[in-house]
Amino acid sequence: MLNWLRLSGRYLFEHLEAVFNVSFGDRYNPFYYLGSLAFFFFWIVAVSGLYLYAFFETSMLGAYSSIEYLTVDQWYLGGVFRSLHRYASDAMVITMGLHMLRELVMDRYRGVRWFSWFTGIPLIWLVYASGIGGYWLVWDQMAQYIAVMTSEWLDWLPIINEPMARNFINQASLSDRFFSLLAFLHIGIPLMLLLVMWIHIQRLSNPRTNPPRVLMVGSILAMLVLSLIKPAVSQAPANLDLSVSTIDIDWFYLFVYPLMEKTSAGTLWILASAISLFLALLPWMPPLLRKPAVVVNLDNCNGCERCYEDCPYSAITMEPRSDGLDFEKQAMVQDSMCISCGLCVGACPTATPFRRKTDLIPGIELPDHPLKALREAIIEQTATLEGDQRVLLMGCDYGVNLDKVALPGVVAIKLPCVAALPPSFLDFVISRKHADGVLLTGCHAGDCHERFGIEWLEQRLAGKRDPMLRKRVPRERIVTFWAGEEGGRKLLAEVSRFQQDLAVLGPYTPPQSDVRRRASGTEESA
Amino acid sequence: MIQLLRYTSQLLLYGAFIVTIGYASTAPTHTHIGDNKAVIKLTLKHAGQRLEACRQLSEEEQARLAPNMRVKEVCPRERSPVKLELLIDGELMYSATLTPGGLSRDGNSNTYQRFVVPAGKHALLARLNDDVHVKGFNYEKEQDITLSPLQIFVIDFRTDSDGFIFN
Amino acid sequence: MSLIDWHEEYSVGIASVDHEHREMINLINAVYDNLSSNASKDQIEAFLGEIYTKISAHFALEEKIMKAKAYDEYEGHKEDHERLLDEIRDIMDFYETDDYFSDKDLADQLERWFSEHFRTRDARLHKHLG
Repeated sequence: MLNWLRLSGRYLFEHLEAVFNVSFGDRYNPFYYLGSLAFFFFWIVAVSGLYLYAFFETSMLGAYSSIEYLTVDQWYLGGVFRSLHRYASDAMVITMGLHMLRELVMDRYRGVRWFSWFTGIPLIWLVYASGIGGYWLVWDQMAQYIAVMTSEWLDWLPIINEPMARNFINQASLSDRFFSLLAFLHIGIPLMLLLVMWIHIQRLSNPRTNPPRVLMVGSILAMLVLSLIKPAVSQAPANLDLSVSTIDIDWFYLFVYPLMEKTSAGTLWILASAISLFLALLPWMPPLLRKPAVVVNLDNCNGCERCYEDCPYSAITMEPRSDGLDFEKQAMVQDSMCISCGLCVGACPTATPFRRKTDLIPGIELPDHPLKALREAIIEQTATLEGDQRVLLMGCDYGVNLDKVALPGVVAIKLPCVAALPPSFLDFVISRKHADGVLLTGCHAGDCHERFGIEWLEQRLAGKRDPMLRKRVPRERIVTFWAGEEGGRKLLAEVSRFQQDLAVLGPYTPPQSDVRRRASGTEESA
Repeated sequence: MIQLLRYTSQLLLYGAFIVTIGYASTAPTHTHIGDNKAVIKLTLKHAGQRLEACRQLSEEEQARLAPNMRVKEVCPRERSPVKLELLIDGELMYSATLTPGGLSRDGNSNTYQRFVVPAGKHALLARLNDDVHVKGFNYEKEQDITLSPLQIFVIDFRTDSDGFIFN
Repeated sequence: MSLIDWHEEYSVGIASVDHEHREMINLINAVYDNLSSNASKDQIEAFLGEIYTKISAHFALEEKIMKAKAYDEYEGHKEDHERLLDEIRDIMDFYETDDYFSDKDLADQLERWFSEHFRTRDARLHKHLG
């Protein structure tokens, strides 16, 4: 049931994102950068907040008037900062919510990834506490509403005897010191939020906390335009002797209060707790996800660190040698952090099919996708192809669905991530003429399910990242096509085009080399 | 041409984003209570009477105590629960027995209740009992009030002001 | 009878690198031995593949050390590495397609390469890391 929900959700996202891919391009689609966009909006809120804080007066009358001064008298600077502060907070709720939903439907919350998901749940509470606290500081009608409702909500808990709501009984009951407390909380809670944001990204290598520059520029411009068109304003000043009647609430944060009014304080507590608990426990709901971690083979590991540099999830560390060999380091895998994507296998220099078949055990390998089996599968399957335009299609578990591919002259092989393929295999396929061309396919560019697969593979092909595809391998015979799960139809067109190109190229001939020249020289003289 | 289309579509999508934020950050307006309504808040922070009277210690009892802990009088801590009732226009709106706070039940009895009523004239009757040894209610106050729209009327209690305070 | 002998001047001063150089030379001599006693085509292919692998892994380690120490001639040294690997791939491919393999050629090429590369590139590396 959960599976069905997830697949339908994924379908919806993929089709919505297809629209954005046409507009933004698939390397800059904002849906592929939701987490880093949330971070970015946080920074806008933090910086604008610093400015506002300098002007805020912590007293019952001063709170409202100091903010009015910024909004009205200093509309061009303070007012803009106030609007940025408010709208970026709203934007953060949107991006955080979408980010959470997306990771859920893309199945990136279970198994080893539980840590990232689990640490995200407290972030929701902290974001809401920060936002609600912020609106409270203004001490307008909306803040009064928040004060009364929040204290009634908190009073439902039998923890503290004296009702907090007594502090907001009437004008006489409130003191200036309360505003000092609120201002302190509104700095402290967002700092806690930043701390938990940092914890949230701990198990990722090179965590992306900044979205691509074009998205940063676009977002901040959008925020500025909104701030100028519709400046954030306060409502009428608070007066605890009069009840609040109608309020223009910020539904992104404050929807909880009308909800509480419609139901009750107790219901809101139960709902919030139950939903949080349910979300927090999701990674452990059946079916459990557990793929075997990669395994290091010390006989073939000399501590070159290529796997360590390529692992997207910080699951590999370099440790002092334990087998007595003269090498300084060896790679070590933390099973509890290994996603089993195989990018490390693609990086290992000993993961090459030119080795003796029985010896093809690389320094690091996926136990359920042994390289020996991959080599055999490639040889066996391509042997069924005929003609001059034989294409080996290599893809991954999350990109284009290869099971449905049935084209003449094409065989398809799947890997956990297409970047788990060592470039040496491409050399092998072309130079041993198992196929005339290789088409590498996977997720959308910018949306590799394992974060860096597409980037690393493209860099390896371009000779910018080790292990590089040898220059002698003709690049016209290796093409990439990043289209995601819904790229099935486009893939067919791409394969046809590739096959036409291969027909023009003709069969593979090895490059001219000294070896060949010397050989012909020897033969002639002999 | 394609570039122009792409930029335009991006502009539209950003536009949709900020329109969503711009709208939902202040609309639709929420009505908390109608402007023909008023609010009565009933609150209490009061310690009931002690359950047992204080008693004097005899000479032997005092001698048994360590010299630095010798006191003449001992007062048992537990306090009486407070029974509180509020009637608005003759209808019993609230009736509760409030246990004193604290592990030894020697703290204040607390409550906070908010009632939304139509603005205008109302007859209020508040009464409480803070001593189990007394039958019925030992504090009571009755008053007719006229509430203007959105007015908040507070009913509190203080022993030094001789009972209920109607504000 | 060995194809290449280890000379002290091959030592670069880094234990892991020297270990691998020695291993490579042993492996190459083993290939040479096998060839002399009429090995099958498969076996020769396999051994060539093994040499290629061992050398690739060795170069990866050396490059990591160079990068870690911010070695100033990294680019040139790496170019040399890539060139040798290309030459080995040429030998492998040529053997596979044309069935042509000259053990003398291989020996000459490797010996030349080793003494030259070790003498110039690796020695400079040793001095700079010294």
